[in-house]
Amino acid sequence: MSAALELEGLGVRFDGRWVLRGFSLRLDPGEKVVLTGPSGTGKSTVLRCAMGLAVPDEGGVRVFGEPMDGRSVWALRRRMAYVAQEPDLGPGTAGEAVRRPFGYRANAALRGNLDRLPALLERFHLAPDLLAKETSALSGGEKQRFAIIVALLLDRSIVLLDEASSALDADNRKRVTDGFAADASTTVLAVAHDETWGRFASRVVTVPGGRG
Amino acid sequence: MDGIVDLGLGSMAAAYLLLIAPLAILLFLRVPILRESGIAVVRMTVQLLFVGFYLQVVFRLNRPLLNLAWLTVMVLVADGSIVRGCRLAPRRFALPLFLALLAGTALPVLVFVGPILRRPGILDAQYVIPIGGMILGNCLRADIIGLRQFYESIARAEKSHHLALAQGARLGEALRPWFREAIEAALRPTVATMATIGLVALPGMMTGVILGGGDPMTAIKYQIAIMIAIFAGTAITVFLAIALTVRRSFDAYGLLDRAIFRAAPRKTGDHPSP
Repeated sequence: MSAALELEGLGVRFDGRWVLRGFSLRLDPGEKVVLTGPSGTGKSTVLRCAMGLAVPDEGGVRVFGEPMDGRSVWALRRRMAYVAQEPDLGPGTAGEAVRRPFGYRANAALRGNLDRLPALLERFHLAPDLLAKETSALSGGEKQRFAIIVALLLDRSIVLLDEASSALDADNRKRVTDGFAADASTTVLAVAHDETWGRFASRVVTVPGGRG
Repeated sequence: MDGIVDLGLGSMAAAYLLLIAPLAILLFLRVPILRESGIAVVRMTVQLLFVGFYLQVVFRLNRPLLNLAWLTVMVLVADGSIVRGCRLAPRRFALPLFLALLAGTALPVLVFVGPILRRPGILDAQYVIPIGGMILGNCLRADIIGLRQFYESIARAEKSHHLALAQGARLGEALRPWFREAIEAALRPTVATMATIGLVALPGMMTGVILGGGDPMTAIKYQIAIMIAIFAGTAITVFLAIALTVRRSFDAYGLLDRAIFRAAPRKTGDHPSP
């Protein structure tokens, strides 16, 4: 069975210094893996490389067996969802931010998924009138929940979460992990520090960072 | 109506005497642009005299190729100003911006001199050079506003750009909001000018036609035509400038290449952060 996500000897250099080097990881379909490690060891960089938002100086990424490069990255991104620690939802209202990705040609067939939006708002304790609020006026926790909702609505096979619940209270954090845990088919790679995520993960991997 | 009155040395001296008022204000309030203002007046005088002498020759000869060469030089100078004004890497941007500026200037000029003025010689110096200059000047200003708005906004809001890519957007789809904003910012001054023209100020071309002895209604028709030409020119230039530079500014992954900025200040998030 081919892995859902394979990271092979990833190395990323910044200002002549390796922030990540020789990092490898394989996630089987449906597996839930949490990345931990001290600050500055390249955990977010791992996710950004996996999503094609950073290009590794060494090593490579495979998504369902297909190597990621400048040509394949566009199709491979459409098999993944990514939630950043401090998501920038873009200009406009929260409602526009939620609907925007469904205006992209690649997601045209998923527009019907927006019917699930009211239920997801309720699940994450977000009042429907927040959809009319400017994204710049949302709190950090509201932005994170909207970003997670979009990731769920996009129905991707792989979800990459970069401390995606760091601004949420314990109850909402549990709702997020429970939601992903209940979905056996979705592969999850999450950067997280708290225990809720530790209990959720089938495997916890420490990122060693760069060396030199 | 009388033709235009030439200005002799006495007239020019009277014009320069007007400088006493602003210079006195600058001195009185110790505004720190006194030296700059003096240099600017001298530069303006020398530059315009030089251009005046050169244009006299160009107008006297009125050779299409020479006129075309003069217009090309104007576009090249404007191209350099845009690259410097946007603080972009000259090697990558000079050629596409030159092409955008050339297209944005040439098309309205040709329509103006051809179907609008119906001049037999499409490259007649009397029309091509002043009209080309007016359109080019506006294109230059709009291009700097549009390009800076586009690239600096994306650099500032890179997370938002990355989110769009992560959500499955193609590069064009991800860039669309910034493209829209840049075009809006670049065209807004021209739109505002069109909305208030004649009410707040009499524009340059109209004034020129009236001073040249033309009928005010003729002057107004010229002004309407030139405003439309400027609007078209700026829109074409900024659209092409962004469209032609995007491929050189983003890598195969759709990520902004920060090497496009000539002296890019390093900011958090420039590169993958650990």
